[in-house]
Amino acid sequence: MEEEWTPKITLFCCNWCSYAGSDDAGVGRKQQPPSTRTIRVMCSGRTDPGFVLTALMEGSDAVLFTGCHIGDCHYISGNYKAKKRFEMLKEILDEIGLEDERLQLQWISASEGSEFAEYIRKVTEEIKAIGPSPLRQEWMK
Amino acid sequence: MNIGDRIVAWSKDEEIKKEGASGGLVTSLLTASLKGELADEVIALQKISEFEGVPIRTSNVDEVLKCSGSLHAAPINLTKFAVRFFEEHPDGALALPAKPCDARGIVEQAKRKKINLEKTYLIGLNCGGTMPPITTMEMLEKMYEINPDDVIEEEIEKGKLIFKTKNEKKAISIDELEEAGYGRRENCRYCETNIPVMTDVACGNWGAGKNETFVEIFTEKGIKLMNNAIELGLIETAPATEKGIKIREKTNSVMEKVAKKWHEKIFVPIEDRLERFHYYMDVMEDCIDCEACKYVCPVCACDESKCIDFYDPIDSYKISIYHLVRLLHLSDSCIGCGQCTDVCPAEIPLTILHRRIADRIQAKYNYVPGMDMKIPPSFEVE
Repeated sequence: MEEEWTPKITLFCCNWCSYAGSDDAGVGRKQQPPSTRTIRVMCSGRTDPGFVLTALMEGSDAVLFTGCHIGDCHYISGNYKAKKRFEMLKEILDEIGLEDERLQLQWISASEGSEFAEYIRKVTEEIKAIGPSPLRQEWMK
Repeated sequence: MNIGDRIVAWSKDEEIKKEGASGGLVTSLLTASLKGELADEVIALQKISEFEGVPIRTSNVDEVLKCSGSLHAAPINLTKFAVRFFEEHPDGALALPAKPCDARGIVEQAKRKKINLEKTYLIGLNCGGTMPPITTMEMLEKMYEINPDDVIEEEIEKGKLIFKTKNEKKAISIDELEEAGYGRRENCRYCETNIPVMTDVACGNWGAGKNETFVEIFTEKGIKLMNNAIELGLIETAPATEKGIKIREKTNSVMEKVAKKWHEKIFVPIEDRLERFHYYMDVMEDCIDCEACKYVCPVCACDESKCIDFYDPIDSYKISIYHLVRLLHLSDSCIGCGQCTDVCPAEIPLTILHRRIADRIQAKYNYVPGMDMKIPPSFEVE
């Protein structure tokens, strides 16, 4: 029996907001597709562009940056740095021919469990629509 | 002498005047900076042949004198040599001749605290482009029909490339040569920075008479540099003529226009997304992981290279992560000097790849790298 293809999405969560947000989504029993692989980092500013590129090369169909809302960062300016990195990475990935949806940035606070679940549902649908990443190798399952 | 002054100058020493190009001013300024103890060391390009030059760092005046004369077919960037100097002598002072790409590299390194710009005397050289040595030799045989070993002097004047041997002098226009695939290096063709305004003084033969150099002074350090040489009795100056100033400006604007045309011709946007993906995948496939591009890059400033942190030669990714990290790192600082393409053993057109991305990002953040010290790198976050 052929299974329906589900995308693999790497999700970077910051420890203080979006990780707590995803926890809130679980506690609140919000339904979301099992497409994400969550990596917790202490701050969204810790998300090195190298992490993102490695995730894409290793077969992720999309990478999501999530963190505290601007102004709410536990470390004051971490999410500003994440935003800048995201913008520059976006330009590069667009230039080498990856779709816009494959790299996304979303601010999620600790109490936004339902928004978190909604966002994951939305992204999974988007990635399903555009199909597997061109960077994915044939031997990657 | 004031900032903004335009003068013509030449060396008083007959020997230097004969050996050096355009009156030997740059050689004299370099020797004067050593003699007057402005600089501890100077960097100069030692001539091996018309097609080969080796950069040397020296405090010996005689060695500097051996380096006189222009070399258009030895495309070397001196930035990394200046970085090494400040690694070894953090409090030292350095003087060096700098064409626009050297100077831009040095300014970018200074922003990243690798070079102390206050103690670096930059003698700017106007630059209309450099030529790749091997193709130039081939061009001499095919287009000029002269033996490369016989060449004793080369010069670029009024859009023509001139080669002199003992008994003849041949000139062919650069446009004609570039149509045939020879001439300047590709990145020089579309380079729009011909006068290095970020240096202390800009020297060049545009707008100057025979055996003299046109000089424009940009900084206090430049005034110091010129006055030092005048006090030591090594150079003579005269005010520039109105005509000379006009010729220089015209030459510069013509060069800029030609560069813009080349830019459009070389950077044809690839509209289709998948086509773009395959283009990048195909060109990077040839990489043999030698990391030569990293070593020559004048604006690379990591202490421990970030580009090899996430990468392993045994990776079998579709696009090399090493190059992707480099593309990202240089997206704000790439000056398009062409060193990476020059050294690449697999002949990957790296400069074009870097420029394609850097053009987008530098336009987005309105940042031109290496032009002045006032604007921080666009990667910086307040």
